[in-house]
Amino acid sequence: MRRWLGRLRNAVRPGRLGRDLERELRFHVAERIEELRDAGMSAEDAARVARRQFGNYTAQVERTRDMDIAEGLDATLRNVRLSLRALAKSPGFSMTVVLTLALGIGANSAVFSAINAVLLRPLPFPNSDRIVSVAQMQAKTPQPHIAPARLEDWNRMNHTFQAISGYYTQDDSELSGDLPEKLTHALVAPRFLEVWGIAPQIGRDFSPEEEHYGGPNAVLISDRYWRRRFGASPDAIGNTLRLGQTSYTVIGVMPASMAFVQRNVDLWSVSAPDFPYARSRDLTWFLGVGRLKAGVTPAQARADLATVQAALARQYPKPDAEIRAGIEPLKERTVGGVRESLWVVFGSVTLLLLIACTNIAALLLSRAASRQHEIAVRFSLGASRASVAAQLVTEVFLLALAGAGVGLGLAAAAARVFQVLAKDLPRVEEIGLDWRIVAYSLICAVAATLACGLVPAIAGTRRSLAGSLASAGRSQVSGRRPAQFVLVGVQVALAVTLLAGAGLLLRSFQALGRVAGGFDADHVLTFRISASWGETGDLKRSGQTVKRILEAVAAVPGVESSAATFLLPGVPGTFPVELSVAEGRAESEPKIVAESRIGSAGLFATMRIPLLAGEMCPQESNTPGMMVNRLFANAYFGGAGAIGKHLGQPSSPYFPTAVVRGIVGDERERGLDHEPVPAIYYCGLIMQPGLYFLARTHGNPMALGESVRRKLHEIEPGRSVYEISPLTAHLSDAFAENRLRTVLLTFFALTAIALASVGLYGTLSYQVNVRQREVGLRLALGALRAQIVRQFLAQGMRVSLAGCAAGLGLAGAFTKVLAGMLFGVSPWDAITMTGVIALVMAVSIAASLLPAARAARVEPMQVLREE
Amino acid sequence: MGTKKNDILQGTLALLILKTLAGQKSMHGYAITAYIHAVSDQLLRVEEGSLYPALHRMEQAGWVRAEWGMTEKNREARFYSLTASGRKQLAQEEESWERLTSGVGKVLGYA
Repeated sequence: MRRWLGRLRNAVRPGRLGRDLERELRFHVAERIEELRDAGMSAEDAARVARRQFGNYTAQVERTRDMDIAEGLDATLRNVRLSLRALAKSPGFSMTVVLTLALGIGANSAVFSAINAVLLRPLPFPNSDRIVSVAQMQAKTPQPHIAPARLEDWNRMNHTFQAISGYYTQDDSELSGDLPEKLTHALVAPRFLEVWGIAPQIGRDFSPEEEHYGGPNAVLISDRYWRRRFGASPDAIGNTLRLGQTSYTVIGVMPASMAFVQRNVDLWSVSAPDFPYARSRDLTWFLGVGRLKAGVTPAQARADLATVQAALARQYPKPDAEIRAGIEPLKERTVGGVRESLWVVFGSVTLLLLIACTNIAALLLSRAASRQHEIAVRFSLGASRASVAAQLVTEVFLLALAGAGVGLGLAAAAARVFQVLAKDLPRVEEIGLDWRIVAYSLICAVAATLACGLVPAIAGTRRSLAGSLASAGRSQVSGRRPAQFVLVGVQVALAVTLLAGAGLLLRSFQALGRVAGGFDADHVLTFRISASWGETGDLKRSGQTVKRILEAVAAVPGVESSAATFLLPGVPGTFPVELSVAEGRAESEPKIVAESRIGSAGLFATMRIPLLAGEMCPQESNTPGMMVNRLFANAYFGGAGAIGKHLGQPSSPYFPTAVVRGIVGDERERGLDHEPVPAIYYCGLIMQPGLYFLARTHGNPMALGESVRRKLHEIEPGRSVYEISPLTAHLSDAFAENRLRTVLLTFFALTAIALASVGLYGTLSYQVNVRQREVGLRLALGALRAQIVRQFLAQGMRVSLAGCAAGLGLAGAFTKVLAGMLFGVSPWDAITMTGVIALVMAVSIAASLLPAARAARVEPMQVLREE
Repeated sequence: MGTKKNDILQGTLALLILKTLAGQKSMHGYAITAYIHAVSDQLLRVEEGSLYPALHRMEQAGWVRAEWGMTEKNREARFYSLTASGRKQLAQEEESWERLTSGVGKVLGYA
């Protein structure tokens, strides 16, 4: 080992060694001259003789230095030189291998770069593994928001957190410019930056006075907004922004990495916990985040907060007795949802790389066979088997390295593709090349070299010397090579696996497109309007605002009806609540749990959801009303009995008791990929952040976007209208991850079958070449050309049939993993599987037919004469 | 290049150098040639062209250690000394040399 290190040092630092050596030799010559002079020679003669005796100075230096390097590196360099020469001699082959590997390694590195950025890298904060999301959990509603008073209690009474804070967001209009600009505004609890562990890049954090009710209004702005609005000038600090009725002073600019928990936040300001309205333990609005003390596990923190909450439950039995605290690592919460998808895609792309390697291994086997003569000559000249094998592996390694290089370029380009195709993927903006991707590609190259190169190198150098030289290019009659056909079979099997997975995802996607949602999504325009939570204080006024906006929208020519809602129909989202019946309900009957929605009275007309019984909510009413769907009515009240009942959560400010006015048709509320469930719809909305406005239009909805915006600017000049898009776009975006997965897998599967068919074609072509003499002989002896075609075709078919059989087995395992992502098809869908087999067999026939036909065209006389 | 009497048999050079260094604390290259020349009664002459590559190979192998130092005439020279593994190597080479010479001797004795 030490020796190798020394050699390596010599190789990389020949300069130093050379200088040392020169000094040493100069000393030697000097001593020799002195000796000669002592013996009586003149100084001049002595110098001449000494030099002559010593020989060429530089040659000495060179010779001594080469000594060390030559032994080790020279062999490698020689291998590289030989390999480059061999590869240059067959550019077609080299290009094929490099491109195949580039595709395999590039696709693999691209997906790995996504996995690296999204799943593997820590969140971009100091000690980010200590950041957790903190939620308030209660049995009756799933909403995670925390009451400000409770958040302060948790922060004060725990022993495991460095700090607990929280935030909520709203879309505000900034009014100090010429036009109102919509900004996403996060209102945060004290200690917000302490939790993230970062400081503003310029300016300062909130001061204690600013974190109290009645203190100065201060705002931190995002790096993006700073660049857009203030041209990244440090003078931005101290400027004033106007949001609604309030002016805020800019005190700092956050770093660009502050893309959490929501990536589009432009402003952060304080929501003071001592604000009188915030004292209620029932009103909840903060989404909690906390930073654990060093060395504390989430489980310990969970136990700690449970103790704290138990104490609070004794102090405030109502409502704290029903409340628990939930803790989850923030990273898990951010990326947990896409983990499975990413690994499935990664698995698929690894199969693709495997196919590419197998393909190349088969190619190399053919090539090694045709190079037998060359190899035999090298053996006869005294090369050892190891050195010949090393040279063959070096060739593959060079190709793999080139492939990895090109692949890395592909991966870099793919990062941009990800950002376009999967813009909703969490942390997608962090995807890019870093040293890990480069290292990963290199590892891929080495693995590919071993996978593709070893078998051909071993097999190619096993031939007996004498036999090879004797046959000297004369091909034996029987040239069967089971290894190559096994490799082709493996490719077919892997391609079948990928095709089956892609086929199932495609069929799911198709099924999703065909599903009847229970509403009509065409010709519906959606948009949002900025609002603040402050407006919700005046219920009457904010209710009027919604009504005024809806009337104005409905009055735009081309608009049929308008509505507002929190959650768009068909877009996945769930908000189940438990309700009680004012009229009373027997203990024995099941608890009433329903998906809850809040919408304006016009929602059902606009979405074309039919009224089945009772009446629609009136536009204006003094008693709160609700609609229920058919499933709800049937499940809990045996149908029409539901009408007139009073439902709600008596103590909750969010779910007041309301009377059931009518029953409407079922729709896929929780997303198009979920069956309808019992649901209730509160009628009547107040103006608040997060609302969607809907307009049913006669023609293309987007054509009306501008008219709607202009109309709203007339009646509500202080608000901005944004996110104008057709409802169908929301539905398709909701399944963007689904679509990305499907698109990628289909792409991989098609590449896989293309590679497999090239492999089959190449191997059969090679067979035909090798067995030309045999075919010629047989034709000369009277075989029919059709028989020859059939024979080669059958050989191809046997391989792909065996591959299909094995592939179906593998597909069974693969689709089991996919099962959770399928919709409307079983993992063993007969149509998909039949289709896949039919496709593979058709491609195999095409790939086999060409070489088989060529075999039949062999001219017997010509072949026999050549021998 | 014709064969000269004083050409040193390939492989024995290392043995000679090791043996030379074994008796001294450290020596530079010139002193090694001079020593071998003198001790062998002017029979053996180490070619510089073989000596330095051999010394460097032995250094890489870890048999000798080299350090820059000053000669008594105040010239800068590289001094070589024997390492523990060099000592081991010397013992081995001496033994195989014994075997070789006794073998050759026997053959010559018969012939």
